[in-house]
Amino acid sequence: MKRRAFLKSLAATGVAASLTGSSVLARQAEAKKKKVDFGEVKSVKIDVLSETSWFDNDIFKKDIVDYGGAMTNQYTIPWKWDNAGGYMALITVTELDGKERKILLDTGWNNDWVDYIYEMNNIPAMLKSGEIEFMILSHWHLDHFWGIESTLKHKPDITIYGPATHYPEDMALLKGAHLTAKDKEGKEHHICKNDVPHTGKLVECNPDGEKGEGIYQVMPGVAVRNFDVPILLRVRGENVLYFNVKDKGTVTVTGCCHPGILSLFSYARKNFEGYHPYGCYGGLHITLFETWDPKFDDIIKGVKAFKIEKLACNHCTGWIWAEKAAAAGVPVVKGTDKYKSYKRTSTVATGSNAFLTNGDFVVF
Amino acid sequence: METDSPLENRFNYIMGLVNIVAIFCIVWLLWYIFMHADGIFRLYTPMYGFSLVVVFFSAILIIKDIFEFYPFAEKTPPDQSVLIRGILLTITAVVLMLFLYYVVFWKFLGEFGITYFSPYSIIAAGSQGAEIWNAREISSRAILYFFAAFLWITITWSAGFGRWPWQKNDRSVQAWSRLFTILFFVVIAYTVLFHASVCHLFYPAQVNAGVEPWWISFADTGSANFSLGLLLCALFWAVSSDLLWEGYPFKLLAKKDGGNFLRGLFVFIVTTILGIILLWILLKGMIYFWDEPFMGGQYTDGPDFRFLHAAEISGFLILSAFILKNYFNNFPNTNSIWLNAIVRTLLAIVGGALVYLFYYSNATVFFLGKVPGIAQPDDTPLVWTILFLSIIAVHCDFFEGWPLKKDRGTGLND
Repeated sequence: MKRRAFLKSLAATGVAASLTGSSVLARQAEAKKKKVDFGEVKSVKIDVLSETSWFDNDIFKKDIVDYGGAMTNQYTIPWKWDNAGGYMALITVTELDGKERKILLDTGWNNDWVDYIYEMNNIPAMLKSGEIEFMILSHWHLDHFWGIESTLKHKPDITIYGPATHYPEDMALLKGAHLTAKDKEGKEHHICKNDVPHTGKLVECNPDGEKGEGIYQVMPGVAVRNFDVPILLRVRGENVLYFNVKDKGTVTVTGCCHPGILSLFSYARKNFEGYHPYGCYGGLHITLFETWDPKFDDIIKGVKAFKIEKLACNHCTGWIWAEKAAAAGVPVVKGTDKYKSYKRTSTVATGSNAFLTNGDFVVF
Repeated sequence: METDSPLENRFNYIMGLVNIVAIFCIVWLLWYIFMHADGIFRLYTPMYGFSLVVVFFSAILIIKDIFEFYPFAEKTPPDQSVLIRGILLTITAVVLMLFLYYVVFWKFLGEFGITYFSPYSIIAAGSQGAEIWNAREISSRAILYFFAAFLWITITWSAGFGRWPWQKNDRSVQAWSRLFTILFFVVIAYTVLFHASVCHLFYPAQVNAGVEPWWISFADTGSANFSLGLLLCALFWAVSSDLLWEGYPFKLLAKKDGGNFLRGLFVFIVTTILGIILLWILLKGMIYFWDEPFMGGQYTDGPDFRFLHAAEISGFLILSAFILKNYFNNFPNTNSIWLNAIVRTLLAIVGGALVYLFYYSNATVFFLGKVPGIAQPDDTPLVWTILFLSIIAVHCDFFEGWPLKKDRGTGLND
């Protein structure tokens, strides 16, 4: 018996060693890889269509807490529909020859809100005409994806780059479904719907990339990189956009930036030819619920250390982080008061304009 | 606290395996009831559930290590039911946990002294983000840190000082004296290692109540995960000495079995030094796997995560040591304590590695409802690990191995 137990221990050690060893080998192989050159663009303009994914933080948080906390499956929570907004951005890339090309980043949540925002920004016409060439889905979170019908009804065959780490519910909604969730009394509530099945191509992105280089080059100077990270509400993986802007440097554009803004720049430093940190736009997933933690101070110090020259943030970054970062000398791009003219505004918006918010834009 | 029998050739390892599988299933059930996102109570927010589990484990240690079961008998008399004693002790631990958590911290300390120990006091103070969920997470974090310091002091104290200096007094004097002495040191440890970080959980930071975390300059993070990593790494050595090495080498400093001042002092100093070394080794290992961390990095790039992960790995090792000691009769049991200690430690490390692989495998998507992947900010294996340790302690110390242990006092199913 003792001998058998001993042999079992040895076998187990072997399994552990082989698993951990393969991870190290993969990292070492990655380190030896040649740096990727994905071209250059002349400039990138980001129009903030909507960064207001929900209007009242407290209601959103209560929905999460009441139905199981951060690890809960987002499709099992009867979200307060009236509180839902959505995250979308329009990206205009100017190529080196001056030609402009457009990309839609994410598709929001509440269809009423998404439709309202789309109409305000002429998105339906751009989708119908093909001026918007494709959509990057940053991740499968409700506020970035559940408004998919609002996009598909104008362009059902749009090409979508989404993380490969999706769940059956995500695919059901993409292909057309009405989904509900039960409240604590057992009553069913509508949580999302899509009556226009997606007929176009879904590019399922993974960390290997399309040619094993870790990226999907969607245009010259524009790359999508998938980071396979676990995220709250049972979601996994995020697609991030990298731009190589001529004479300026690397720009990241994110939905929520769950992997961490500095990790994105760290990846670029290790893997991209001619890396020079320049700017970022998007949710940075820091003080999501306007709370604080000493590690958020770490991020401010880190951003300064990485020498990012232009930081445009909103959404899950948290107003207090943006304000504190700006006060600490981080080059935060200020927004305007245009968002106040929209039919709804977030309860956490302040007069500091530390966020680039609805209706604002930034050019890198 | 030390192992009780030197050599048990008739130990039934199959029954040990049955025991640990049964305990795993109980932990799984409890996880589903209290923590799982699809379960009943859904306490894994994560800090609320985390702190409750740590306080529960602390309540068990208060009963078993500090009070040494006083006013109950240390062991169940042969004519009495171990089942009834186990139930009574478990109920006592649960009541004590609820009393400490909701009465002492939320209602007493939080309302009459330190705001951040009570979510309702935080809300009443009206600072940024002061609503129930965030306030409860902050107070949970503070309570968790306090009891992390408590676990460190208690386990290390038991391994070193034992009953010293009250060994000649009766059990009640020993129990109460040890409790208040340990609490004295816990308050100091908490203040130095955690309080500053908790004061910086607010916006603006409560700089008049707590200094800026003093470890920032060399740890590259202001997160108290630094302290958590350090304490858990030190605890691994205290647990190893106590469980796997049968009290050695510190036992050599006491004239007879039990603690004394010199032994206690050396246990604190040596386990702290070894803890720092283990922490350093683990951090180096993580650099090997994930490259250098950097200030402000998130997920595996974050120094705060690296320290937390060192604590998590130590937790796995401690769990493995508990399992080896309690369910596999501290295999091997040769005549050489040195050989025993080395092999047991190696087995504990291998066991810890297996637990690590299990926790980060897709199996836990099914068992624990977690998202696959590492460094999820809302997930730490310490919660599951400490729940597991708690149930092992309840089973082995409160229920004395019942019902699978047939002959109390020697070994499982002798």
